[in-house]
Amino acid sequence: MGGSGSRLSKELLVEYQDLTFLTKQEILLAHRWFCELLPQEHRSVEESLQARVSLEQILSLPELKRLIALHRAAVKIAMQSAWPSACNTANPFKERICRVFSTSPTRDSLSFEDFLDLLSVFSDTATPDIKSHYAFRIFDFDDDGTLNREDLSQLVNCLTGEGEDTRLSASEMKQLIDNILEESDIDRDGTINLSEFQHVISRSPDFASSFKIVL
Amino acid sequence: MLRQWSVQASGEPEPEPAGEELWEQEMERRCSSQEPVRLLPYAMVDKRFIRQLREPEGVKTSCWQQWRHRQQTAGRRLGEAARRLARGCGLWEGALYEIGGLFGTGIQSYFTFLRFLLLLNLLTLLLTTSFVLLPLTWLRPPDRGPALNFTLQCPGGHQPQTGVPKFNNLLWNVLTGRAFNNTYLFYGAYRAGPESSSVYSIRLAYLLSPLACLLLCFCGILRRMVKGLPQKMFLGQDYRSPLSAKVFSSWDFCIQGQEAATIKKHEISNEFKVELEEGRHLLMVQHQTRAQRACHLLTYLRVNILIGLLVVGAISAIFWATKYSQDNKEESLFLLLQYLPPGVIALVNFLGPLLFVFLVQLENYPPNTEVNLTLIWCVVLKLASLGMFSFSLGQTLLCFGRNKTSCESYGYNACDYQCWENSVGEELYKLSIFNFLLTVAFTFLVSLPRRLLVERFSGRFWAWLDREEFLLPKNVLDIVEGQTVTWMGLFYCPLLPLLNSIFVFLTFYIKKLVLILGLLLAAVPLGYVVSSLVLTVCVSQSQASARAIRGLRKQLVWQVQEKWHLVDDLSRLMSEPGSGDSLGPASPHSRGSRPRSFCPGFPCPGSPGPRASRPEPSLEDPNGLRGVRVPARSCRFPSGSEL
Repeated sequence: MGGSGSRLSKELLVEYQDLTFLTKQEILLAHRWFCELLPQEHRSVEESLQARVSLEQILSLPELKRLIALHRAAVKIAMQSAWPSACNTANPFKERICRVFSTSPTRDSLSFEDFLDLLSVFSDTATPDIKSHYAFRIFDFDDDGTLNREDLSQLVNCLTGEGEDTRLSASEMKQLIDNILEESDIDRDGTINLSEFQHVISRSPDFASSFKIVL
Repeated sequence: MLRQWSVQASGEPEPEPAGEELWEQEMERRCSSQEPVRLLPYAMVDKRFIRQLREPEGVKTSCWQQWRHRQQTAGRRLGEAARRLARGCGLWEGALYEIGGLFGTGIQSYFTFLRFLLLLNLLTLLLTTSFVLLPLTWLRPPDRGPALNFTLQCPGGHQPQTGVPKFNNLLWNVLTGRAFNNTYLFYGAYRAGPESSSVYSIRLAYLLSPLACLLLCFCGILRRMVKGLPQKMFLGQDYRSPLSAKVFSSWDFCIQGQEAATIKKHEISNEFKVELEEGRHLLMVQHQTRAQRACHLLTYLRVNILIGLLVVGAISAIFWATKYSQDNKEESLFLLLQYLPPGVIALVNFLGPLLFVFLVQLENYPPNTEVNLTLIWCVVLKLASLGMFSFSLGQTLLCFGRNKTSCESYGYNACDYQCWENSVGEELYKLSIFNFLLTVAFTFLVSLPRRLLVERFSGRFWAWLDREEFLLPKNVLDIVEGQTVTWMGLFYCPLLPLLNSIFVFLTFYIKKLVLILGLLLAAVPLGYVVSSLVLTVCVSQSQASARAIRGLRKQLVWQVQEKWHLVDDLSRLMSEPGSGDSLGPASPHSRGSRPRSFCPGFPCPGSPGPRASRPEPSLEDPNGLRGVRVPARSCRFPSGSEL
């Protein structure tokens, strides 16, 4: 937490509150986290708004912080410095999330506003519509606008992990994807588009509670 | 919206006209709609752009709008505060968040349930104290003399107990409740003067306050249970949550630890395998002949009858234990006999599930059926044990079905018990304490050492012993049993909720300690299935709540809308010759310097793209039908050592 120079101005805060689902405290906390990624001398407000951090930096930070925190308190884990789990290395979708929310041309770095967008979509108060919209984009591994068999297969592999006893066999994968397509592919074109995806998600009451990060 | 599409197709020399047109339409639609900017699925920079287009002169809000905005924010904050209050004034929020992040939402829900029970107990205590205890102390009750003058001739020269036990050890007295015999803990101390002398009827208050508490608890639990149920009920008996919905919403983004993530992946993998196995089994069942179906039914009956017999045997053991304990109250093995009924109940509840699991697994049922069967019988066993315990107490104290002369005059066994309500209260008090002590003992004498030793040493024995797992169903059932005992004792031991609150409070920290010290958690193979079952019965963590009904309505509306969507698409596609490819995601490159963030295709990204040839509906793999058995290890109900 820097000095008064690194606090966001009131107008900016109001604007961000208007454009996202976050509260004032959440936005300030996000800003604090973001500034910690930047080098010491570039932590002023103007520079933090212009800066972009690379994917590696974002991913490298939480583990480091967690290790340091663990060191300090053997049993008590310092939750105050917990980085949002979207960018945590434990999350198998971390790269997809960062790609989807990035607005840079090469799509490998996040600016502060991208970061706010990310937190806004994952917040408690975001509507299910917008969550399902972004979930669709995250699961669309090849970015073609539909979920085809390869996307689904990659999704399932992300979910089940790479272990020998957890990954599904080829026949199980095929059966699973056939089931998914049978249930969700309404127009029978072999892929799931956004509307079909949102339709399926609407039947799952757990989606909103699992697709969120609590700040 | 999907700028990557424009970036990807950077090779295109010029923008395609159809795409541009759609982009214009999209822009117009977004600008003219009234929905708040934050609801738009675009990047921040684009949301600002749209907001500027909507209100070019900047955001000019009138006083009225500003006031309304402030009211809405205030309302939202109030709602948040009320929700926090209802959830427990933010008690243990940090700890719950920590647990959720490290161990997943399944384990977190157990701790949330503990908090809920703590609040329930404290509320009960508050009611009892304010309506019974305080008026009682204020209205100054009559003397604490003996309530009855015994003129009864007791068989065998027994004199009515005067409450002076042979063993006068303080610890013994506390553990059996005798130390508190004349305190407000038990029924006996609640005396009231003649009815007409006071305005406030203590007797009525004493009767009604436990009833009110029970009603409150019932409503609270019902509310928690009902949150997730309406959707299931409306959609029919055979409704199973679609697999696709499970696939898309199974990852829990709150998970922060690597270990928790690994466990979650195990859970998900097992869940998928179980679902696929169920699907295969269902297909197989549909192709069964009549004879096979009859045979299947017979084996089903056989298992249930066998387990039923076991349950009957178990509860008769409890009956005899209680009778023996009551009949030999002043023997030399005093404390042991006093705690014999709770001991037998605990033993029965420990061995029962093990046997059930073993028997159920002898037949080859699909995983869901195995779990359901075992769980139902476990719950039956627990309830039956408590029921039989109460019945045998009733028989001893109130002479149900027996012909003791001492019962005739006073309606209860006045020779052996001066105040039978006190005795019942004592029994329930002992049961409650015993449950808690058992939990503590098990944690510190079994779980922790096991965990430490398995970590420290390597070798076949330790590997076989394996690390302790946090079994969600077992823990939830234990907690629920403790709460049931408390409810049973509300009339006889009015301050039992206070005791239970303390126990729940301590249990929270003990379990948390055990977890944080790194116990491996419920990679319970059917963890999701079992915990979702138990949680639906006991806890219900689903947050759909009132949205369930709204969601259904929305779904119906959505279905109609979506049909029109598709018709629209189709008609547009068919009306534009040779444009089959232009609506595809290969969007035109940006016009001008600013990379476009809007979807150049139809407003919904990924709407029917170029008509690819439809793949043949894949034939069911015949080999799959032969029941590729999920590895036995991964499909068991917590067996053997874990329980």
